[in-house]
Amino acid sequence: MLLAMELENEVEMAGHQVIGTAATRDQAREAIAAQRPEFAFVDIHLQDGPTGIEVGRDLAAKNIPYVFVSGNIKKIPRDFAGALGAIEKPYTINGMKNALAYISGLIEGCVELNPPASLVLAEDVELIEAGPRI
Amino acid sequence: MTDNEQRRNAAQTAGDRLVARHVREDPFAAAFKATRMPMIVTDPNQDDNPIIFCNAAFEKLTGYSAEEVVGRNCRFLQGPNTSREAVARIRASVEAGSDIAVDILNYKKDGSEFWNALFLSPVRDDDNRIVYFFASQLDFTNVKSREADLAAARHKAEEEVAKNTERLQSALGAKTLLVHEVDHRVKNNLLTMASIVKLQARITKNQDHRQILMSVLNRVEALSTVQRKLFTLDDVSRFDIADVAREMVSDLVGAIKRPDIRLTHELHPVYVPAVKATPLALIVNELVGDAVRRGLSDGGGQIHVVVKRLNGHFLIRVEDTSIPVEVDIETAEIGRILLETSARQVGAKIERRTAGHRTTVDVTMLVESPQESEN
Repeated sequence: MLLAMELENEVEMAGHQVIGTAATRDQAREAIAAQRPEFAFVDIHLQDGPTGIEVGRDLAAKNIPYVFVSGNIKKIPRDFAGALGAIEKPYTINGMKNALAYISGLIEGCVELNPPASLVLAEDVELIEAGPRI
Repeated sequence: MTDNEQRRNAAQTAGDRLVARHVREDPFAAAFKATRMPMIVTDPNQDDNPIIFCNAAFEKLTGYSAEEVVGRNCRFLQGPNTSREAVARIRASVEAGSDIAVDILNYKKDGSEFWNALFLSPVRDDDNRIVYFFASQLDFTNVKSREADLAAARHKAEEEVAKNTERLQSALGAKTLLVHEVDHRVKNNLLTMASIVKLQARITKNQDHRQILMSVLNRVEALSTVQRKLFTLDDVSRFDIADVAREMVSDLVGAIKRPDIRLTHELHPVYVPAVKATPLALIVNELVGDAVRRGLSDGGGQIHVVVKRLNGHFLIRVEDTSIPVEVDIETAEIGRILLETSARQVGAKIERRTAGHRTTVDVTMLVESPQESEN
């Protein structure tokens, strides 16, 4: 999909390696099993329906930090399904760049960054702090 | 003579005595007999408190003749649907020798029911002994049935309202679903448009083309930011222009990574009708974009963005200390046209001042409903 391809490019431009993209829940499971990612972007609406939330729960169960990418943040469950937060679509190049910088800072253990406007953080602060440490 | 006949005779005699005490011209007796209000008199000093007198209106109401009722206790008016509780209250009142007004379901001679607004009162002699009970009956079956009709009508109306409410709720649910679906598609389409432009910009080898594509992308993304901010307030018809400005500015600050360009802002919520969101967001985008472009090509500088209300107007101000030179004619021209067209669309006034290195652009427009913007 075009959106995934351009996101992939933006992630790589920021100096990260993309290990795979998935269009369905099953593809996502296979990709996660094949090569454990350090981080994931999860759209709520995949080709097989709103299965992104289940993918998110799978990631959370494996302690892989991730954010939702969604056009409707209100559809995310109250507990954010273990996500760090959400980037609302349609995001801008700058918004994604800032969110990426913040997320990679978090994963590297730097917790003193200010979250950018483009990233809506999960309300549960404990999850945010617990996620990146793994 | 049977007991019954004896009793009736005694009651009849008591009634006759009562009547005999009143001469024909006695207006009170005449009124009692002639009134349209059904009335009876009973004698509590006889066994079982029998009726000793009834007037014509009572005969008319109940269908019984005076002969049939005199000598009998009034309980013959009761029937299967008569409230036991009402009967008990009447009995208690008679025993206590007090007045009582009670609504009771009674039966006529033909077996039909009627609602009786009964009033019962003891009549005392000079020694304060109860000598008679006086009772008046008022048939209010019509009122009762009107009440029942009203209750039925109300019940029907309520059912109708409930049915309509359910229908409306389901229609509203479908509408809401549709709005969310459309909103979702608009968002995805905006991101797809942006992705197509990004793809093209990435593929092209020509720097000029790339610059043009990025200029298009910048405006598409301004619309994206608006779309993201729509429907976030409870009141979907309003839109906070400061919120969009904050996001645009902070996106820029984070992304340009030029410590020599300092972006500051003073943003107060200004609510505008949602239909004006796009032109106003484009105005902010062009003003900030112009200042940043000049700062990038120049040696940086300070950029200050203000959104606030000002005496019934609202103000968007972008102030910068970048050198006010045009980066390139085409870019500046596009920026100018977009700014002026958007301003015209919302009836805003643009005022540009330059003093040394400081450029200030004020865009002012009338706030349509001051009360609304107070909230």
